[in-house]
Amino acid sequence: MTDKLYNAFVDATHNVLNLMLNIADISDRPADDFKCDEEVDISIGIVGDLTGEVIYRFPVSTSISIVNIMSGMEVKEVDVFVTSAISEIANIISGNVLTAISSDSDMKCDILPPVKKSKLDEDEEYEMKTSCCITTTIGEICLEIRLNRGA
Amino acid sequence: MLWKDNYKLGVPSIDAQHKELFRRVESFLQVLRSEERWEDKIPKIDETLEFMKGYVVDHFRDEEEYQRSIGYPGYEAHKQKHTGMVDYVLEVTKQYEQSNNNEQLMQQFGGRLLAWLINHVAAEDQRIADYARKKG
Repeated sequence: MTDKLYNAFVDATHNVLNLMLNIADISDRPADDFKCDEEVDISIGIVGDLTGEVIYRFPVSTSISIVNIMSGMEVKEVDVFVTSAISEIANIISGNVLTAISSDSDMKCDILPPVKKSKLDEDEEYEMKTSCCITTTIGEICLEIRLNRGA
Repeated sequence: MLWKDNYKLGVPSIDAQHKELFRRVESFLQVLRSEERWEDKIPKIDETLEFMKGYVVDHFRDEEEYQRSIGYPGYEAHKQKHTGMVDYVLEVTKQYEQSNNNEQLMQQFGGRLLAWLINHVAAEDQRIADYARKKG
């Protein structure tokens, strides 16, 4: 199941970046070693047959590049506008994954609105815990998948 | 320019509405992100919110009508996404009025609107066009 989720999130991220930003050159790798000095972390909560969250770790430079491409304007720093735009991207990717999972199985889940995280909690244990680093021509994005089967 | 020709669905009336929507959103973002004083931007922001409330509803209705006319199987799910966006625009407008034109609220709205619109037209609406092409 963890592998299935990993692949579903990689595929959805690939598709969304390709369609929205016209970025085709995308690769992925497990990302236990993802390090970034300045990043924006967006958490998408998941409830239903799976519970937990997926945290999207966008380095500042990647966040700015994404919004520059989408808006055609020059954004210089991460502010509320940029955070909101990349939060919506995290929301779209997560929504697409859950739609794909529910059409392939009888699993039903919902996503919660994006929340900006100030700190990554490392203490909690999860049944399914994995992370992947998506590498693109405008930088990397790391996804931390932390889920349990719902009660 | 925000609009790209590869966003076209091949349905002239819907494509024209999408183009107009992108033009308006682009002009809204240019004002929102300009370095003018916030007080000077408010009239344009108010004008866009008014436009969005009316035009988005009309456009979504026309697009849904087209989906029904071709028997698009994803109609219900697509309609839910439209309803979600309309509700969001109305909620933000209400909060914006109640907050006495809060700038941060509008910046947040602008960022989400930008990503939502591009994804909706570049990805979700394209599925309608794919279905119409396959159907012939």
